[in-house]
Amino acid sequence: MNHARSYPAFLRDAVGVATDGGWPFYTWMTLLTALALVGVNAWAQQVVGGMGLTAMSDHVSWGLYIANFTFTVGLAAGAVMMVIPAYIYKDKAMHDVVIVGELLAVAAILMALLFVNVDLGRPDRAWHLMPGLGRFHWPVSMLTWDVVVLGGYLLINLHICGYLLYTRFLGRRPEKRWYLPFVMLSIAWAVSIHTVTAFLFSGLGGRPFWNTAILAPRFIVSAFVSGPAFIVLALQVIRRVAKVPIPDAPLHTLLGILRVTVLLNLFFVGSEVFTEFYSGGSHTASASYLFLGLHGHNALVPWIWTALAFNSVAAVILLSARAKSQLWLADIACALTFVGVWIEKGMGLIIPGFVPSTLHELVEYMPNELEWRVVVGIWAAGLIVFTLGIKIAVEIFAGRMRHQLPAAEPDEPQAAGGV
Amino acid sequence: MPLFTALTLFLACDQGFVDPSREYGPPVPDAPAKVSRVHVPTSLGAVDTPRRDIHGAPIGVSCATCHAGPGEDAIVVGDNGNPEQMHGTIELLHGGLACDACHEPTDRRLLHLADGAKLEMAEAMQLCAQCHGPQARDYQKGAHGGMTGYWDLRQGERVRNHCVECHAPHSPKPPQVQPAPRAVDRVVFPASETH
Amino acid sequence: MEDASRRTTLKALGATLGAAAFARAMAPLAAWPEDLSIDELLQRHYKELSRDDMVRVLRRLEQETLDQYGAVVTIDDVRPIPEVQFGYALNLSVCVGCRKCAEACHVENNHDRATNQSYIRVLEIKNGSVDLAMGTVDYDHAVPKKGRSYMPVQCHQCDNAPCVSVCPIEATWKEPDGIVVVDYNWCIGCRYCEAACPYHARRFNWHKPEIPAEEINPDQAYLSNRVRPQGVMEKCTFCLHRTRKGRLPACLEACPTGARVFGNMLDPNSEIRWVLENKRTFVLKEDLGTRPRFFYFFDK
Repeated sequence: MNHARSYPAFLRDAVGVATDGGWPFYTWMTLLTALALVGVNAWAQQVVGGMGLTAMSDHVSWGLYIANFTFTVGLAAGAVMMVIPAYIYKDKAMHDVVIVGELLAVAAILMALLFVNVDLGRPDRAWHLMPGLGRFHWPVSMLTWDVVVLGGYLLINLHICGYLLYTRFLGRRPEKRWYLPFVMLSIAWAVSIHTVTAFLFSGLGGRPFWNTAILAPRFIVSAFVSGPAFIVLALQVIRRVAKVPIPDAPLHTLLGILRVTVLLNLFFVGSEVFTEFYSGGSHTASASYLFLGLHGHNALVPWIWTALAFNSVAAVILLSARAKSQLWLADIACALTFVGVWIEKGMGLIIPGFVPSTLHELVEYMPNELEWRVVVGIWAAGLIVFTLGIKIAVEIFAGRMRHQLPAAEPDEPQAAGGV
Repeated sequence: MPLFTALTLFLACDQGFVDPSREYGPPVPDAPAKVSRVHVPTSLGAVDTPRRDIHGAPIGVSCATCHAGPGEDAIVVGDNGNPEQMHGTIELLHGGLACDACHEPTDRRLLHLADGAKLEMAEAMQLCAQCHGPQARDYQKGAHGGMTGYWDLRQGERVRNHCVECHAPHSPKPPQVQPAPRAVDRVVFPASETH
Repeated sequence: MEDASRRTTLKALGATLGAAAFARAMAPLAAWPEDLSIDELLQRHYKELSRDDMVRVLRRLEQETLDQYGAVVTIDDVRPIPEVQFGYALNLSVCVGCRKCAEACHVENNHDRATNQSYIRVLEIKNGSVDLAMGTVDYDHAVPKKGRSYMPVQCHQCDNAPCVSVCPIEATWKEPDGIVVVDYNWCIGCRYCEAACPYHARRFNWHKPEIPAEEINPDQAYLSNRVRPQGVMEKCTFCLHRTRKGRLPACLEACPTGARVFGNMLDPNSEIRWVLENKRTFVLKEDLGTRPRFFYFFDK
């Protein structure tokens, strides 16, 4: 096999598949592209006009961008909840669809990196962050650890996805030695990306709201809520829209995981709330501000109670027997808890760390329209990457995108396999 | 944190200047120390009159304008030399002291210490020091009283504020002032007034 | 076959439209290069510059200040004096909260005029507490108010500075004389240091600072009071452009009550040493282990 010829062919065909489809596909992609461009435009304005165009201030110096960064890192880590059943527990049905999780990891990491980059005051100097080129403050700065683990996780998952799709494209069976070690590495790595992201916050002694040992466990557990919740919804969209026969088994496995992680997440939040409020003192100020409002300032109170309500309702639905037979109920639970976690570890975690400020000034923050445009743009970009990845994978696994060998061999029937 | 300190120190070894000669500036030559002198304000040895200048500040008149020499005979009394009016602007709020506790009765241009030793107006800080020992000590050590100029007397001189620049001798407690405006940081919601 | 060529045409049309839309979305960036030179884009870290490089950078920055602000300024690379360790102490017994120090800082350090920014924030706290939660910086009444005490807070130049540890690119570091500085031309503006600082000592340039030419303090240094670019962090440097030449910081000179004491902690005869050895001193948030060089003390 001559890879010098077949790999460009793979890329060419992938581009072909990615730009070809029916009207629903074009509509969906046009919508996402338009939204992404709105985000690009908002970001360009921000670069020129300054970060002052956002609602952030010296008091609340991180906002919606870092909130979404934290969440998308979790989403990427949560994708591992497909990998573990597929490869550790040899769940055959999960194994057939595990590429969805790996593609989600790629898309989510890309989003996380975009969210960090739009938060930079000087994106023109982003190269200062490149090890070797700039001045990498490793291992002291946790942010350099984050660059390493996020970059590494992206590369690992790109390799796994790329290798699996390429060998299928060639009509071969993937060789275990070329991907299994990387899959195992990705499992450990998934935990590391979110641990390091939690350490970014929990390592700051001057911010008592974040300076808690339970932050990393909370991040991991909530990632294992948001990841599977997203995948459950995505799998059902794929099997309806792309007409891929995905069985219910992997969905039930993921819902089984969710049943535990949703409760664990609520338990961890509860532990945090107890510790904050029972001991009291000035260190409780942020938690008071978040849950109850402080001195008449209560911008985040509706957010956090919405999150708690969504997560609690999701937990109840998932625990009920009916959710096992009626998937639409489980879908509602997944959507609720996805939004719940997004609030809880975004607006509900990043912002109160700054309110009140380190000198106990009460300055509130609510994202403005420009920030929302940038955030929607990045989510659209992430969904573009995810959609295209899934589309290419579906075509390859269905045997419609196959390497055309020079000597026309008869097309073998496609080996068993789903997406 | 100690772990990170150790790591920082460890890494600091090879993170210095590419040109190590840039790390420090040139050493300061060991010059004889410059003086640290006390600024003597013009208000010393003068009293406010009821008249105001165009900025609204009281116009002062030197004690020596009327008290030209030692003894009561030396008082020069002009047309507006009403002593009551002349000293009327003085509000004495200084621990119940009487005028003569500080001002030399035999020569109003001078002050006197508790032991009766006469003192020029310019040396008034000695008089303050005899009652306010801790403040005088702190002042001497540089821990009380404003200053301008150089912290490094090898490089330049320093000018210290006189006691009376902050503490008017007749009512030493500094008056309330309106503070300079605060920073107008960007905020979405108005900051709380008090909490 | 005809269908395929129609598809190709449509794809090409879509790609062209997409590219045009992308260019349109990015259009605001066209205004950017006005303030951005290639030299600046490729400038190395402060510690990696040779003496010649540094001189070129300083002249370029002076020219930029002239071009963008119309002010003729001198920017020096003022380095630490050997065998000097700076320390600063503030007498809480005499501070009246007049904000003269904050005002002097604003003028000396070429802060943005619109925000009236300053590296110093003065807290007014109810007597009987040093809990910051009992304080406010927003007071506008005559001072000192009865029953209140005042606490100015600025960069504490910590020996174990969280802001320095967290910076991913060493854009901020501790100098040999103890001052924590920022290379404004290396900082990427991630604001991690601002989140890490327990004293609200750091400021971000949310916009390009605006200062009338005649109000710009022309006596500037690379690491301190030169006009900062948009999108980078800044902080108090104990006025290193003054103090490394032996002068007192601007905030100390402006203090009408003499509450501030500054000097070389290695000099046993210095004022700061006398305060540290003889007064009842404390540092803010000592429990965080930041080891500040900014001390508070009381007379009694």
